[in-house]
Amino acid sequence: MEFQEAQRFVQQSMHDITSTFQKVPGSAMLIRYIQSSYQNDPVRSAIELILVIFFVRYLLASSYATHSGNFVTLTESEIDDLVEEWTPEPLVAPTTAFEKAESDNLPIIVGPTGPKSRLTNGRTVTNLASYNFYNFVGNEQVKEKAIQTLRTYGVGPCGPPQFYGTQDVHMKTEAAIASCLGTEGCIVYAHAFSTISSVIPAFCKRGDIIVADRAVNYSIRKGFQAARSQVRYYEHNNLEDLERVLQKVIKDQAKKPLTRRFIVTEALSETLGDCVDLPKLIELKQRYKFRLMLDETWSFGVLGRTGRGLTEAQNVDPTQVDMLIGSLAGPLCAGGGFCAGTTDVVDHQRISAASYTYSAALPAMLATTACETLNMLLTTPEILVQCRENIKAMRAQLDPRSDWVHCTSAIDNPVMLLTLKPDVVNSRRLSIEEQERLLQECVDETLANGVLITRLKSMPTAPGSNGKDTEWKLKPALKVCMTTGLSKKEIEKAGITIRHAITKVLTRKSSSKLALPNVV
Amino acid sequence: MAEKTGRRRRSSSLVYKEPPETIEHMSDQAALPNLNANWVNAKGAWIIHVVLIAALKILFDIVPGISQEASWTLTNMSYMCGSFLMFHWVRGVPFEFNAGAYDNLNMWEQIDNGAQYTPAKKFLLSVPIVLFLISTHYTHYDFTYFTINFLALLGVVIPKLPYSHRTRVGLFSAPPEDR
Repeated sequence: MEFQEAQRFVQQSMHDITSTFQKVPGSAMLIRYIQSSYQNDPVRSAIELILVIFFVRYLLASSYATHSGNFVTLTESEIDDLVEEWTPEPLVAPTTAFEKAESDNLPIIVGPTGPKSRLTNGRTVTNLASYNFYNFVGNEQVKEKAIQTLRTYGVGPCGPPQFYGTQDVHMKTEAAIASCLGTEGCIVYAHAFSTISSVIPAFCKRGDIIVADRAVNYSIRKGFQAARSQVRYYEHNNLEDLERVLQKVIKDQAKKPLTRRFIVTEALSETLGDCVDLPKLIELKQRYKFRLMLDETWSFGVLGRTGRGLTEAQNVDPTQVDMLIGSLAGPLCAGGGFCAGTTDVVDHQRISAASYTYSAALPAMLATTACETLNMLLTTPEILVQCRENIKAMRAQLDPRSDWVHCTSAIDNPVMLLTLKPDVVNSRRLSIEEQERLLQECVDETLANGVLITRLKSMPTAPGSNGKDTEWKLKPALKVCMTTGLSKKEIEKAGITIRHAITKVLTRKSSSKLALPNVV
Repeated sequence: MAEKTGRRRRSSSLVYKEPPETIEHMSDQAALPNLNANWVNAKGAWIIHVVLIAALKILFDIVPGISQEASWTLTNMSYMCGSFLMFHWVRGVPFEFNAGAYDNLNMWEQIDNGAQYTPAKKFLLSVPIVLFLISTHYTHYDFTYFTINFLALLGVVIPKLPYSHRTRVGLFSAPPEDR
């Protein structure tokens, strides 16, 4: 009896299930599909069945992250312990005695800067520590123009160039620079330092190759760091070494997918002041199919007959340089920087260069000032001649005459970098810190005699995996900047002061104490 | 230097896993939302698969001289080839926004930041399977058509499996770069 009941129950429920299934829309289709799909082919049907089972399992599986394996899971107490143990590194390293002494004696200028500047201690000194090469700072015409622009446009454009920041003056300045250099286009950045450090990552990314001079400045190194590219260095201004590195890159990359390749160097080196051989560089870049980024920060407005930079000085067509980066801040007495090149190169930067898209545009008055001073250089090249006369006059007082220092700067470079002669360094076994200290003493001694000069100061090499180069060290140097604001007589006098100060410091008892241990 | 040598693949193996990224590399990936992969989670992105398949079918139908069987097989093959190219062959991001942080990963591996069995991945796996089942049905279970369609299906299903995550076949792709 019970068995029959169970049987009836099973039959009933089977019937229920079937009728419910038939009520489901599409069930008839499914049955037809399954009936027709068998087709007397068990292997194929089995494959399809396995596929369907796999599919259902995939759909039912729960999701998981593949990145989570990289983290260590910690308990609450472990986290507390770690937090307890952690002592933060100071954001800034403690000041050394040398830095303290330097900042205590820092000369402070009162009022406008110029060839003769007044300090807070009331003395007026000859200022050879500013990039005021043509004394545009004191130029009334430039000042008047800037004030006019200020009244029309206000101070800042209050927006990035792509977001209401571009004004007609910016476009005029861009056109002026492009026509001055003879390139297709030009893009103006709001800050000279961040120009090249933004141009490099706009064109380079992971896997790209940058071949750079070993002594490139901090701004370029920051660019390398942001670009994440492979950086290979060659010896400073040694084009044979550059060729060796280029050949090695070509060889290493022969069977790999093609990447972008760049040579990055400075026209006038910020850290050593010397000049690169551009025609040879162009020849190498063309032979090995690299692009060239030339940093003209220190040479634009300085080299060449009318200050068009290295390309004018060495008679190279500027269109041969793929990206020509310059500054409007130093000799041009305005602010910001630029990158000149083909329209493609320029337009690409307008949306992909970080410091162009994310920082406010150049103040209008600086744009007009740049235009104005650039025009003055083009129309009155005599001031460049005058500046070079002054450089020559200063050099005559220092480089061959001084027994202690040697000028590493190129002959036309108004920024004269004076390093201690190698035999002085060797015979006294001076470390980098001792050289810095001696040179600072020279700066202080020169200032005591009424001439303001400075030392070459740079940031330490950028940390991070890219752009790091442990082999290269900044060479301590004195920095003497020329200006046309002083007559040849005054320059000569200042030169004598500097030379005597250096001699006095280096022959002093306290410094010679370090000297020549075999004499004692 | 130590981290660089760690990234090199053992030269002998034919199949290898893409090595994990460095901390710096991962933070670059996380710096911005991955626009290249995120759109697959949008509503329209799911519908477009169905629309494209229908469009392909119509296209092959209006070409004269193509039988229903061939038309379904062609539709299936075009979809499989297209999706293989898009999801598994091309690596990196077509529009650069984070210094090439995704250059070593194909689009499937970029979707949902590499997580497995996410809704988008389930959907993208189900489309080729359903399409395959439909096309075998309409090719009337002809053995030749079945083989062609099934091999094409394997070509897109195997790279989608969690096992294949970051796996590379040395025959098709060069060893990973030091990046």
